[in-house]
Amino acid sequence: MEPSVQVRDLKRDRVNFVLENVDLSFANSLRRVMMAEIPTVAIDIVEVEMNTTVLPDEFIVHRLGMIPLNSMNCDEALRYNRDCTCSVSCRYCAIQLVLRVSCNDNETLHVTSDHLEVVAQTSYDDEGEVGDELSKRSEEFGHPVGKGNPNHQPVLICKIRKGQELRVKCTAKKGIAKEHAKWSACSAVSFEYDPYNKLRHTSHWFEVDERAEWPLSDNAKEEEPPRENEGFDYNAVPKRFYFEVETVGSVSPQEVVLKGLRELQAKLANLILAVQSTSDMPSIEGADVPAQMAMQPPGPAWGAPVATSPNNPYASPSGGQTGAWGGGSDQWSGRGSGTSPSSNTGWNSTSPSWDSGSGAWGGASSWNI
Amino acid sequence: MNAPARHELYVLEEGEKPVEITDDTKIPNAATIKVVKQDHTLANMVRGELLRMNNVLFAGYKVPHPLHPYFLIKLQTDGSETPVKVLSQACTKLIGDLSSLEQKFQREFSFKDARVDGPAGDDPYGTGAGGQAWAAGRDYLDF
Repeated sequence: MEPSVQVRDLKRDRVNFVLENVDLSFANSLRRVMMAEIPTVAIDIVEVEMNTTVLPDEFIVHRLGMIPLNSMNCDEALRYNRDCTCSVSCRYCAIQLVLRVSCNDNETLHVTSDHLEVVAQTSYDDEGEVGDELSKRSEEFGHPVGKGNPNHQPVLICKIRKGQELRVKCTAKKGIAKEHAKWSACSAVSFEYDPYNKLRHTSHWFEVDERAEWPLSDNAKEEEPPRENEGFDYNAVPKRFYFEVETVGSVSPQEVVLKGLRELQAKLANLILAVQSTSDMPSIEGADVPAQMAMQPPGPAWGAPVATSPNNPYASPSGGQTGAWGGGSDQWSGRGSGTSPSSNTGWNSTSPSWDSGSGAWGGASSWNI
Repeated sequence: MNAPARHELYVLEEGEKPVEITDDTKIPNAATIKVVKQDHTLANMVRGELLRMNNVLFAGYKVPHPLHPYFLIKLQTDGSETPVKVLSQACTKLIGDLSSLEQKFQREFSFKDARVDGPAGDDPYGTGAGGQAWAAGRDYLDF
C-alpha cells in the first residue's frame, strides 16, 4: 500500500494531518526530523554593551536566543557559520541585530522582540566566498517574527524603569535543534496512533473504570471502536498516524513538513552513497551494484551536501571491512559501557521503537541552553 | 573551555568515513554496518524497512552509547542478496516513499493554501491576527 496523507487543518502556525499506510518507525522518523533537524536562524552570540536592568546579562542573553526569527527558506538563504570561509562572521553566514532601549519616563517600559533591529550588513574585506544566499532571502528574513504587525504580540525580553538601559549587539546564526533547542522550528509535534489502544502498546492504569478515566481523543472518531469482547489481534500493526505540527512562527508549517521529508531523503541518499562507495572495493560482492542505485539526488533541494564521486571523501581505497573491531573477533565487547542503561545496548529489533519514542532530545547536549 | 563543538554530533569530520561495513565472520550473509553521525531518526526507519523485506532474516540496530553519535545496524539475509545490497534497496524504497509523500503533501497544501490566506486561523499567539508573514509575502515554495 502506498503511503498517503490527508491534511485536516492548516493554519498559519500549525498543520494537522493524518499519515496512512506507513510504518511506525517511518512516522516516528518524520516526527523526529521535523522537531530537531529543520535549520532556522536564532541569536547565538550576544555582546552586552550596557545592561542596567534588573536582569543579569546571562538571563537576557538566554531570552534573546529563544526569540523566533523569520527563517523562511533558511536552507538556501544562509550558510552555516562553521562552513563559511570568513574569519568570524559575515553577511552570508550571520545576521546582525541590535537592541538599544532606555527608559526616560515614569512608566515601566517593556523591552520586546520588536525593539530588535536587523543591521544591514554591507560587504567588507573579511567575508566568505561570494554566494547567492542574499538573493534567496525574503525581506523579513532574520527579523523577529511578527515585527511590524499591529495584531501580533511581541516577545517580552525584560521590563525596565526610568534610568535603566539595555544595549546589546546580537549575531544570529543558522543551526538545527539537535544542537540547541532554540533552533527548533516546532514548539510541539503531537503524534498519535491507535486511539482505542487496540494494539495494547500502552496499558492504562485506572482506579475503577478504565473507559471513564481515560477519555478518548478526538482522533478516535476516525477509527472504529473495538467491539465488545473482541479478541486481541497480535498481528496488527499501527497504520494511521495523527500528527499536529505546531511551529514557533519562524518557518511555515508547510515548509517544516516538506523540509523534513527532504532531510530524510538526503540522509538516506547519503547512506546509500556511503555504503556503496565503501563496498565498491573488489574484495566484496558489492562491485556489481547497479548504477541506478547510485541515486544522484536531484538539484539543490538536498540540504546536506551529498558526496559525488570525483571528490568523494568516502571513497578512500583502504576499505572499511576490517579494522575498527580489532580483528573482528569479539565485536560486542564494548557493549553496555558503564553508565548507560541496558535498554541502550539491546538490539531494537522486533519491538516497535520504544526507546526512540522519547524523541529528538536524546543527546544530552541538546539542553545546553 | 574544552567542550567539543556541538555540531560534532551530526557533522562528519574532515575525512571521516560515514560508514564502516564489517562482514560477520561466523554467520553467513550477515554484516554489521556502523553509521557515523546519525541517530535513531535514520536507524529506526531503515531497520523498519529492512524488516519488511522478504529476504531479510534479521535486522536490528542499536545506539551503543547515547553520547557517541553513531549507530550499528546488523542484518542477515537469506543469501539471495548481500546485506549491503539489501540495505541499499531498503533506502531506495524509503526514498521513493518519501518523495511520493512529498508530492502528496504539496498537492494537499496547494488545496488548503486558499484557506490560510482567508480570515481563518490564529496567529502564533492566538490573537487572531490578519496575516502577513506566510499569506502575503513570498512562500518557501516560490524560491
